[in-house]
Amino acid sequence: MKNIVASANKNKWSSMSGGKPPTTWAVLRTLILIWLVLIIVLPVIWIVLASFKDLPELGQKPPTLIPHAWHISNYSQALQTYGFATFLRNSIFVTASATLLTLIINSMAAFAFAKYNFRGREGLFIMTLAMLMIPLQVILIPIYQVITKLHMVNTFWGLIIPAAATPTGVFILRQYMLTIPDEIIESARIDGAGDFRIFLRIIIPLAKPALAVVTIFSIMWRWNDFLWPLIVAQDSKFYTLPVALAILNGELSVPYNLVLAMSVLSLLPVIIMFVFMQRQIAQGIAQTGLK
Amino acid sequence: MKTLERAKAPRRGLRSRRRRLIPYLFLLPNMAIFGLFTIFPALRGFWISFFDSTDGRHFKYVGTGNYKEIFSDQAVLNVASNTARYVIGYVISSVVISIAIALMLNAQTWGKTIFRSVIFLPVLLSPVVIGLIWANLLDRKRGGINALLAIVGVGKVPWLVDSKYTMWAVIFVGLWTHVGFFTVILLAGLQGIDKNIYEAASLDGAHGWNLVRTITLPLLKPTTLVVVILATIQGFQSFDFIYTLTGGGPVGATTLIVQYIYDSAFQTPIRYGLASAAAVILFFIIFSITILNYLIGRSRDAL
Repeated sequence: MKNIVASANKNKWSSMSGGKPPTTWAVLRTLILIWLVLIIVLPVIWIVLASFKDLPELGQKPPTLIPHAWHISNYSQALQTYGFATFLRNSIFVTASATLLTLIINSMAAFAFAKYNFRGREGLFIMTLAMLMIPLQVILIPIYQVITKLHMVNTFWGLIIPAAATPTGVFILRQYMLTIPDEIIESARIDGAGDFRIFLRIIIPLAKPALAVVTIFSIMWRWNDFLWPLIVAQDSKFYTLPVALAILNGELSVPYNLVLAMSVLSLLPVIIMFVFMQRQIAQGIAQTGLK
Repeated sequence: MKTLERAKAPRRGLRSRRRRLIPYLFLLPNMAIFGLFTIFPALRGFWISFFDSTDGRHFKYVGTGNYKEIFSDQAVLNVASNTARYVIGYVISSVVISIAIALMLNAQTWGKTIFRSVIFLPVLLSPVVIGLIWANLLDRKRGGINALLAIVGVGKVPWLVDSKYTMWAVIFVGLWTHVGFFTVILLAGLQGIDKNIYEAASLDGAHGWNLVRTITLPLLKPTTLVVVILATIQGFQSFDFIYTLTGGGPVGATTLIVQYIYDSAFQTPIRYGLASAAAVILFFIIFSITILNYLIGRSRDAL
């Protein structure tokens, strides 16, 4: 408590009101923020606790908070007998390959936009940004026809390739590559390095911070993606975790305690990433205004 | 650079033609995907909206029939009204609450970083799982929310069963998910405000809430507009968390436009043309809002 009061005094803003320590507002504000944090955190804790309950306990009215017994078997049973090992593997595979592909093709495009003069550069760049205006939601039907024609329904290609070209990734990488001095590229060229070699050996290593941001974004996007895999994966063999959770829960074909366990499992990687990289994530979003 | 090319003059013609191609080669994979999976489908969707199909294979030209049907069909009007109510509720609550949180966080010194991070956390979580979490919490008899309310003597509220409450529940969960995203943007805006302005204003006798009202909020207007626009676009696109929270129910009370498009395309009765027309209208809504965003951004840069 002392801490709060002390820091409120240091704070110019609130200490202006009339010279005496404006403790009430500082304390009230801190309390509101703590309350907000609880509103965010408690549902997550609630679901983590619930994921260890068995079905009878989940059906109990009123509900319990702490499980009577910790049923870790919810997790193993879902993975072993309800195909969730496959869905988890699909999610990991799709996220990893799509992210890798995104990094490759987005940085290639960004390199062209940042370091070459060519006819149509402005137009193509604006077109790239304009892709943000055509969200998947408005092209559901025609895009389904396209992937049907290309035999990409129920394939990993279909899950990975179309989602890999992201306008946001191109934008972030291009902005960063603009700051790489042209002199480095030109001196490499004098040393006889070809364009692709310059891209691979000079640009990519120098663009590492931006590549890291795009990697984090891409992992988040692909891991949580729902609408796209929902369209492509019509066969349960190709379900990713979110699709499996939504569909199997909707059909009531998987016991609810297992659905909760797998929900928690699917939150885990993102929460881990958040704990270690929250600053980069928040900064990246504040800078681009995108997520 | 120049001298190097001149030294190799004899092969220059071929080389420079190849060199001019190089940037296009770097762009090719990305642009090919955009073309094939975004631009072509967008044009094609516009085209399909003038046809009718109930199986996805046979298409019959109906002119503007789908559009006429959309504006007279009761189910579509219901979806439009749901979407409008959701977007209005979501945008207003998001803007008001994220401004309030941003102002508090900006003034906070103790624990600022951790508060900001935690409030931001839901933005990163899977919307599908967020829907599942809140479906569990808002369950009438087994949910944690009603158990909490019981402590203060409120009876069991049928959050997800009675259409009186469902839309509010959906708006709340949308807010819970995204408010941290808007807060981070507003915080960046707040930090961009020149500190000297506060000093000057306080010398003129403005304090506390007065200072916020007369100085901070007006200066925060451009960022607020960006948040309004992003929230509106997001509101119109909402689908995934609602799918697992209410599934669009009860009896279509929370079915928004994207779910309507999805259902008409993938659930019987399939109505490709009608869904495409709805998608085209959704596109123009999002398109005009984005253009507005761009224009505001440009006029802000000009200042």
